[in-house]
Amino acid sequence: MRSGDSMNRRLRISGILVIIGLLVEALCLVWSRPIAFVVLVGLGGALIGLGVLLFLYSLVSEPFQPASASDVAQDKH
Amino acid sequence: MPTIAIVILILFSAVLAGVVVARPAITASSSGKILAFGVLFFLPLFSLVAGMDNEMERSKSTAFCLSCHIMDSYGKSLHVDDPSYLAAAHFQNHRVPADEACYTCHTNYAMFGTFKAKLGGLRHLYVYYLKKMPLPQDIKLHEPFNNRECLHCHLGARSFERGATHNADPATLPAIKANTLSCVSSGCHDVVHNVGHWGDKVKFWDGGS
Repeated sequence: MRSGDSMNRRLRISGILVIIGLLVEALCLVWSRPIAFVVLVGLGGALIGLGVLLFLYSLVSEPFQPASASDVAQDKH
Repeated sequence: MPTIAIVILILFSAVLAGVVVARPAITASSSGKILAFGVLFFLPLFSLVAGMDNEMERSKSTAFCLSCHIMDSYGKSLHVDDPSYLAAAHFQNHRVPADEACYTCHTNYAMFGTFKAKLGGLRHLYVYYLKKMPLPQDIKLHEPFNNRECLHCHLGARSFERGATHNADPATLPAIKANTLSCVSSGCHDVVHNVGHWGDKVKFWDGGS
């Protein structure tokens, strides 16, 4: 249960970083100034990169748990 | 991909990522895991690459280069009503694409040329925001203009290969091609932008794009 909580927390942080990074990127695309490219790559890219890395880390740091019969049944639905 | 399509994709990705942030428990199921992989890995990276590609393409545009205040005079020099002005003659007669006029001449037609041109652009940004800006007429090229950039279009062209001045001396054409005789700084085509030296006699053509 504790492991699931930490996984959820990492997913949340990862998602928030990705969302902020995506919003920065969207703003840079509609902001037609030369500095926009630097902000897009430096800030947007860094936030998205961090979010993606945290997501990948949350996957590999999660201990393997075989799927229970109820999980399998839920997936079938 | 058009800018508006990328922005829509980004907002769509952000909304889906918001679903995972609001309800991370949905990743317990297989479909939730696929959703999380899509919105926290694939879509953000795809959006980032698409956005960077879009910005790279936009950075080639004349409007992008002229969006810096310091480049105003250089933009104006494209409209000088005098065919001896090299940049103006190329721009007004569409010898270079009017919407990519700066990039076409100032890129580097060698391996990684576009990348080097963008690095040069980053140096411009550094000077623009963090250093004392020079006067427009004091702006100099990072390195002498290489004939390769001219020859990218002119090599093999009849006007270049058979031009009377180019063939007046048999050594001239090989020297130009070997970049030992500069097109723009040997006294032949040396009036390029001439910013700061226009005086009152220069007129401007208000047509074109």
